[in-house]
Order: sequence, then structure tokens, then C-alpha cells
Amino acid sequence: MRLGGVVGVLAASCLVAGCAQGTGDSEEETSDASFDSNATLSGTVEVMGFGAGDEIATTRLDRAKKELGDAKVELVEGDLDIQQFLSSVASGKPPSLVYAERSQIGTFASRGAVVPLTDCIEGEGIDTSVFRKSALDEVTFDDEVYGIPEFNVVQLTQANADLLQQSGHTIDDVNGSDWDAVLQADKDMTKTQGGDLQTIGYDSKLPEFLPLWAKANGADLISADGRTAQLDDPEVVEALEWAVSVYDAQGGFGEVKALRDSADFFGDGNQFASGTLGAMPMEQWYVNVLNDVSPNAPMAFDTVRDEQGEPIAWASGSAWAIPKGSPDPEAACRMARVMTETDSWIAAAEARVAMRKKDGGLFTGILTANEDADEQIRAMAPTDGDDAWSQAVAAMYEANDHTFSMPANPAGDEFEQAWQDEVNKVLTGDKDPADALADAREAAQQALDEAWATWDEK
Amino acid sequence: MSLAAPASTGTAAPARPPRRRGGSGRHRAWIPLLFISPWLVGFLVFMAYPVVYTGYLSLTDYDVINDPTFLGLDNYRELVSDEKVMLALRNTFVYTLMSVPAQLVFSLVLALLLQRAGRAAGFFRTAFFLPKMTPPVAVGVLLLMLLNGQSGLLNELLGWFGINGPNWTTDPDWVKPGLVVTSLWTVGSSVIILLAALQQVPDELLDAARVDGASWWRRLWHVVLPIISPTIYFIVVVDTIASLQSFTEAYTAFFGAGNTTYSNDAALFYAIYLFQQAFEFLHMGYASAMAVLLFAIVMVVTAVQVMLSRRYVHYTGGAR
Amino acid sequence: MSTLDRASEAGPTTSVTPERLATEDAVPAEPQRSPRQRGTVARVLVGAALVLMTVAFVYPFVWLVSASLKPRSDVFDNRLIPETLTFDNYVEVWNAAPMAAWLVNTAFVTVMATLTVTISSALVAWGFARYQFRGRNLLFGLVLASMMIPGAATMIPTYLIWNSLGLVGTLTPLWAGNVFGTAFYIFLLRQFFLGLPPELFDAAEIDGAGHWRVFWHIALPLTRPALVVVALFEFQAAWTDLMRGLIYLRDREDFTVPRGLKSMLDQFGFGGEWHWELIVTASVITTLPMVIVFFIGQRQIIQGVASTGTKG
Repeated sequence: MRLGGVVGVLAASCLVAGCAQGTGDSEEETSDASFDSNATLSGTVEVMGFGAGDEIATTRLDRAKKELGDAKVELVEGDLDIQQFLSSVASGKPPSLVYAERSQIGTFASRGAVVPLTDCIEGEGIDTSVFRKSALDEVTFDDEVYGIPEFNVVQLTQANADLLQQSGHTIDDVNGSDWDAVLQADKDMTKTQGGDLQTIGYDSKLPEFLPLWAKANGADLISADGRTAQLDDPEVVEALEWAVSVYDAQGGFGEVKALRDSADFFGDGNQFASGTLGAMPMEQWYVNVLNDVSPNAPMAFDTVRDEQGEPIAWASGSAWAIPKGSPDPEAACRMARVMTETDSWIAAAEARVAMRKKDGGLFTGILTANEDADEQIRAMAPTDGDDAWSQAVAAMYEANDHTFSMPANPAGDEFEQAWQDEVNKVLTGDKDPADALADAREAAQQALDEAWATWDEK
Repeated sequence: MSLAAPASTGTAAPARPPRRRGGSGRHRAWIPLLFISPWLVGFLVFMAYPVVYTGYLSLTDYDVINDPTFLGLDNYRELVSDEKVMLALRNTFVYTLMSVPAQLVFSLVLALLLQRAGRAAGFFRTAFFLPKMTPPVAVGVLLLMLLNGQSGLLNELLGWFGINGPNWTTDPDWVKPGLVVTSLWTVGSSVIILLAALQQVPDELLDAARVDGASWWRRLWHVVLPIISPTIYFIVVVDTIASLQSFTEAYTAFFGAGNTTYSNDAALFYAIYLFQQAFEFLHMGYASAMAVLLFAIVMVVTAVQVMLSRRYVHYTGGAR
Repeated sequence: MSTLDRASEAGPTTSVTPERLATEDAVPAEPQRSPRQRGTVARVLVGAALVLMTVAFVYPFVWLVSASLKPRSDVFDNRLIPETLTFDNYVEVWNAAPMAAWLVNTAFVTVMATLTVTISSALVAWGFARYQFRGRNLLFGLVLASMMIPGAATMIPTYLIWNSLGLVGTLTPLWAGNVFGTAFYIFLLRQFFLGLPPELFDAAEIDGAGHWRVFWHIALPLTRPALVVVALFEFQAAWTDLMRGLIYLRDREDFTVPRGLKSMLDQFGFGGEWHWELIVTASVITTLPMVIVFFIGQRQIIQGVASTGTKG
């Protein structure tokens, strides 16, 4: 048969001609885009990763739509799916604008999936001086900004006051300032029945919050220049050992996770309202959820604290970026500007204040990467009351003044994957903390080296 | 014959006596080619070319966005030292070694029961096959809910017997057994195939054995099983190949966009890791190397099974 | 794995002869009866085991439907009869997800996949069954060998082909490969064609019927039972497929039902917004068409499955 020959020819021609080609390198994407804040725009801004779920989003979105004039906004629903995003860039049909975690922007930038925003910032007149420096640093590579920072996220200690009281503890025992005290409170609040965990004493929120515990113990997961993984630092190991021991005291992570998973996290059956969780560190936005769905839950709040008793929080957050091949970069850039400018945040905060007032709820503040906006919004939130919710707001702003953030690095996503994978192995009992973190360091360093290599070549 | 030698099944003359095809000599050569041309084109474009091209891509670093760069054997070097590849292989083999025998024994028991069901056999057969129609995604959802350690139905049932059921969906030691239990729910087609084979066991042989005073168990072991061994072999081969590539139920339940931080290593099957490398991380070159390895594994496992079949499978003449 | 997966992943031992499919119930209706009366105890035990197993196999469906009729907080309560019966979930699920679009997309993909694969596989099978030609055995050997190739070995270049055609993100890659036929169905149908008396076609040709006419007007109608089996297998496979949906679909409105259900699980499940009542309801909607298809085509499906495993 000549079949073999045919296949051979076909394959050879492909190898020679290169069937697999990069889809992204055909042109310099933004070179033909001219950004101008006064220009009249048209077309459709397709946005991936952003959901207009609440008034904070919709208020700003309405403002953006107004500024965009004839250009329509179309939201691709759901959280950002990295696969979905990268494959859309790969297929040459990316969205106009993407909304992602700031830690992911470096990964996208080193893959050439998002473009530098220097022209956009200049043309639209985006005032970058209002942004928190650490936030802007997270999305800056080679002196070029790849993302416009949006929200800011910090953690607070959130606890069930009744459970604390019943077990003879106070919020100070679970804010992290004394790890032995946390462990004791954990044991005292944990309840089991017939071998089944009924109440989680303390949830150290692994694997996600390892960076927080490491920092509280004085260690960074990554060097300040973003090039060296320090995951096997003894202080990181110690932090992990402690955070895991919190689960071991309750019968293991599996037990805790099974119970955690069976709770209605966003509803009135949440763990605090149902009394099935003593305390945990958790992002500040959850205060707003709790206040909304279970305003009568017996809550107590504080910042997370290090061993000196100082507040500490790991600041992360989101950002807007323009994909390579964006069909409408001008409109995308304008939308990113409007969504993050001070007036928009103020308007959004006012909308929430009005809304909460109507429901009889409380305005629990908003944290953004825009320092101007934060300053003004802070004045709208009650921090003087002595009820738990006012404590929460006060703690939130206190935490926000004592943050650290992950140094910018072009392998943010892979780096996070590396340590989370290994922490999971410790949680499942497959590895001990020191081995796991040594392996994590190796994998993370490899990812960093590869990603930096592409930058250093430029 | 069975899968053992698919090529020979097809290329050799069919079971019926060969007959002259009417006027085949008169046809011009392009007429049959015209009929088979859809497959021919499809084979070249979607089978032969991709297989060759996967081999080529496995030697490159390619993320679709940027042009591929040639790496030589780097991907394969990385493959053998990648802990996750080893983990995925181990998970896949362990799952296969648990699920294939479990499914076989379970479906054989069900087929034997059905054989004695009398006139109601049709009803029970329908009931046993129904889950096979369920979309695997829905099976994954059912797995998460019914096998939930805290509030799942299965543990509630076990509780009636005083058994404190494990956390099937979160305890790494129990995740694979949980997937095996789930796979037992969808053995319907094996049951049907085994039942069809059982019903072709000649009555005379069984009667003869009975006259000899052989117990039910001895008849099963010495008469029935040898006679249906080609069917058992077929099921083992097909289930093994399917298990080595199992994806959907485990992916649905334990992986995906919302689940990344809870990704459960115990459920990381090879096909899932390959999918993640290819389409989540867009490491197309590395994923291609993984695909080549999977291809080789499937071939080796099949070859081993063919060799074992020569020894243990009884073919009774073939023609019936 | 679906019926089809299992069948197409490995060469079956099939001999689907027309007699078997058309006339003989491949799963014989007559159960074996022993000459001696079996003990009553044994019969009771067998009956009890059968009933128990039936409950085990059917109960998850019942549980699912029951859960879909419960309010959010009761979904996990494992009650057979909902304490509070509500149909709200079936209203809410259409708001929470573009369920109607998903159903339309899936129906389109499934119908296209089924139609194209049935016709093209029949064409190819006829080419192999009816004609002698140089290289036939080699080519047919390739058909069979291709069943052994794991999907992963071709998955990535196949994606790149659709990508270079600009069709990633559309429904086309989910069915269009089927216009080239599928090895397993070609094999199945060829066996069936071989069982038809060739004299019939010879006679037609002598009467002046062309090749196409003989195939389309004589052979194909006679093959109906086997075509129905192929169509039912493919219908099930296409409706339930998740992986291609994961690879090729991007926008939520373009999802198929299984892909959509997975996205709902990600959004509303553990670690998400915790709306299990919507997930179970969507699961019922995803599964129901398959249950209906099964009850309509039950005989053919079960005979088709039985014939894939038996030795000819």
C-alpha cells in the first residue's frame, strides 16, 4: 500500500511547514491601538472573569457603560477559568478585557497572554499614583504595568463568641498571637460525637493561608526580588507544622474538610450561625456576607496577629488586564480606568450604604487597591460602635495598615500551585512538613527560573 | 476470537464460509474506495497524522500562544522525574487493579442472579442497566453527595449496621475505594454481556455435571467459567483499557475550576493530569510526551493480556 | 465511561449477524431451567438478592429526583419523601444557568453526531463488506487497530486542527469528526452486512441498479436494526460526553448540558456558593433525556450491548 507513504509525506510536510504555530505572535497587539480618554468608542467589550454580583460591581459597571458610550459591555459569567482564558488567547479569540488575581498577572504576562498597559495608562490618563504601591508592584514587570489593581483582600480572625465563652476563652486566644493558646482553644472548642467531628474548634485554613502563618513566624515564601523560593525555610516549616497540628487535634484534616464542606458557606446555615466552627482567619469580605445572611450570629473579630501581638495580613487582590489580541483594547482600557477610579468606588460605597440602611444592615466597608478611595470610604463605615460588626470594620482597617504581599514574580500561578500541592500532601498525611516544603521549594524554584528566563531574554 | 487479535478477526475470513462476492472483479477500483473514503480521510487526518504529530510535539515546548521550540528528549527526562506523573500512574494502576476485578465479580454475580430470575429477568435487567445511561458528570455529582462522609446516604446506611463510614470524598485512603464503589453502579453492560454468554452454556454439559454429583459451586467453577472465559477475558481487557483512561467521574468530583485549592491528589488519574497539562496549563509538548507514555502503557498491558489469554482462556472451537 | 467508550476502546468480539439482531433475542427470554426443582429457599434468596440489587441500582435516581424537590437546606437530608415539597428549583435553575441554551446545544450536537456517524459508518462498512479490492484486508486491519489507540494519543493535534480552523469555541468539533465514521460502528455494521445474502445485491445489479442504488435502497433498509443500535449508542455517547465540552467550549451560553452541569458544580458546589439544590436539579435535567431514550430503545440497546461481547 501507498498509505504509509501518504502518512509520511503528510507528517513530513507538517514538520517542515510547522503545523503548530504560535497564534499570539503575529503582531504587536497594542501598537495599532490609540488610547484616548476623549475618543468616542464603539463595539463590544467582552469581559472575562468578572461577575456583576452586587451593588459594588453594578454601580461601577453602570458608570463604565456610560463612559463607554456606544460600546457595549458583555460579561462572560463565572470566576476566571485560567484554562478558558489561555485557550481563548491561543485560539486567537480572546476577550477584550480580563479580570484576574494579581498573582496570576505575572504568569499571563510571561506567557505573552496579556499586554503591557503603558500606552493605555497614558492615553486614558489613568492616575496610577492613587494605587497602593504593593498592589501596583505585584503587576509590574520590567518597569511596565500589566494590570490595573482593583480590590484588596486582607484576613481577619473571625470567631464564634458563644463557643469562645463556653470554653473559657476570649478572642485574644485565637488571634494568632500565641500559637499554644490557639491550639488549646482549638481543643477546647472542638466537639465530637461518636467519633464524628461536630464542631471545628479552629480552622487554620490550609493550604491557602500558609503565606500568612509563615509571615507571622517571620518568614517569606519568596525572596523580595521574586526570584528565589524560600519554602524550605525552617520558620515556614514550623508554621506549617503548627497549622497542621490544629487539624490533627481534631482528628485530621479529612474530618475538618468533610464538615467544612457540608456547611452552607454563603447562607444562613453558615458555620458561625450553626455553631459548628469556633474560629478561623478569613478574608474581610466574609464579614459582609455574615452580616447580611446571619446578622444575629454571636460573632467576635480581631485582626490576625503575629507573636509580638502586632496585626498582620496578607494583602492580595484582583486586577484588570488586556489580553493579547484583544478585539477592542481602547474600550477595554477605558473600562479598566472607570472601574478603578476613586469616584467610582465612592459611588459604589454610597450605593451599598443606602442599600444596607434599607435592609437594616450595616455598612462594613470596602477595601480597594485605590488608597484615595479607601480613605474616603473609611469615613463612611462605623468603627466606633462596640458591637461585633463595628469591631470587624475597625479590625479590617487596622489589618489593612499592616499588610505584606507576595513579591511580584512572573510565575505567580505556578508558584502557588507548587506549595499548595505539597501542603495538600502534608494534610493527607503523605509527607511530613519538612520534606513537603523541600519538594515544594524545588518545584517552585524551577517554575521561577523558567519564567524569569523568558523575561531576562527580552 | 476477541480483542486479543482484532486484526486477525477482521482480516481473516469471517466465521461464515467465504463466498464469492458478486461481480467483484468487474468493479472499478475507485468504487469501493469511494465508499470507504470518509473513513480513509478521517483516518489520515484525525488518527494517523495526530499520532505522528503527538510524537513530534512531545519533543518540543509548545503553549499554542508562542511557536514551538525543539527540546529533544527533555520532556521525557522531566516525565520520569515528575513526582506527579508517578503519583498519577500509581493512582491509575491502583484504581485499575481494584476496579476491574471488583466490577467483574460484581457483574458476574448479578448475571448469575439474572439467569435465575425467571420471567422477571427483563425487569431486573432494565434496572441494572439503567445507571449505565446516566451521564458520567451526573455520576460524579452523585458520588460527591451520596458518598459524602458527613451526610451521605451510604454512610447513613452503614450507620444502621453500626459502621462508622469513612470520609469517602475527603480521606485520601478512601477516595479510590469510593470511585470503585461508584463504578460498580455502572456495570450494567458487563452484566448484559455476561448474561448473554451464560445463556449459551449448553444445558447438556451442566446436566452431565449434575448427574456426576457436582455441586453448584463446582459446576460454576469447572464448567461455566471455562466456557464463558472468552467473554470474561473480553470484559477484563475492555475494562482495563477504560480504567487506565478513566477521567470524567473523578474529574467532575475532584477537579475543575472551583476545586483547585482542594484538588485531591488521591484522585489524580493519569488522564486527568494529562488533560490538565494540555488544556489547563497549555503545556502541549509535555502533555504530548505523557500521551506517548500512555500509548505505550496501553500497548504493553494489552500485549501482556494477550499472552495471558493464550494460557487461561478456553476457546471451544469458535463456530457455533 | 459510556457504553460507546467501552465498546470503541477495544475491538469487540462481536459477530452481529442480522439473525441475531433482527430475529433472535440476543438476551434470551427463556431462562435456564434445571430439570430438578431447585429448593424454595434458594429461590427466595435469589429473589431477595435481585430485589435488593434493584433497589441499590434504582435508588440513586429516586434520591436525585427527591432531592431536586427539596428546598436548599434539606437537600442532604436523605429523606425519600421531601419534608417540604417544592418545584422552585426547577424554576430557579433556568435563571441560574442558561439551561435552555445548553439543552438546545446538546440536542444539536447529539443529532448531528448521530446522523453523520450512522450514515458515514454504514457507507464505509458497505465498502468493506460488499467489495473485494487490493489492500482491503490491510485497510480493515487498520480500522480495527485504530480502536486500540487511546484517545489521549490524538487529542492534542486534533485540538490544534480545530484551532487552526478557528472552530475552537464553537460546537463543531463536538460532532464534525463523526462525518468520517467511527471504527467500532464500521466494524459492527460490516458484520451485519456480511450476514445479508449477497445474491440479493447481485440480482439487483443484474437488473441494472447502480452501486449507490443497491446500497441506499436495498442494503440500508435491510440494515435498519443495526443502524438503530449504532444511532442509539452514539446518541448516548454524544449526549453524555464531557471531555470535548471541556476542551472546546468557552462561553457559558455555548456549553452542552454535561459541560454546563460541571460548571454549575464548580460554581455552586463545595467551596462555592453552596446551591446543591440547583446542582441536583440540573443533574435530573441532564439525565432525564437518557432515561427516556433508554425506555424507548431499551430492546435495541440491550441487544446491541449483548452482541458486542458474545462470541460468534
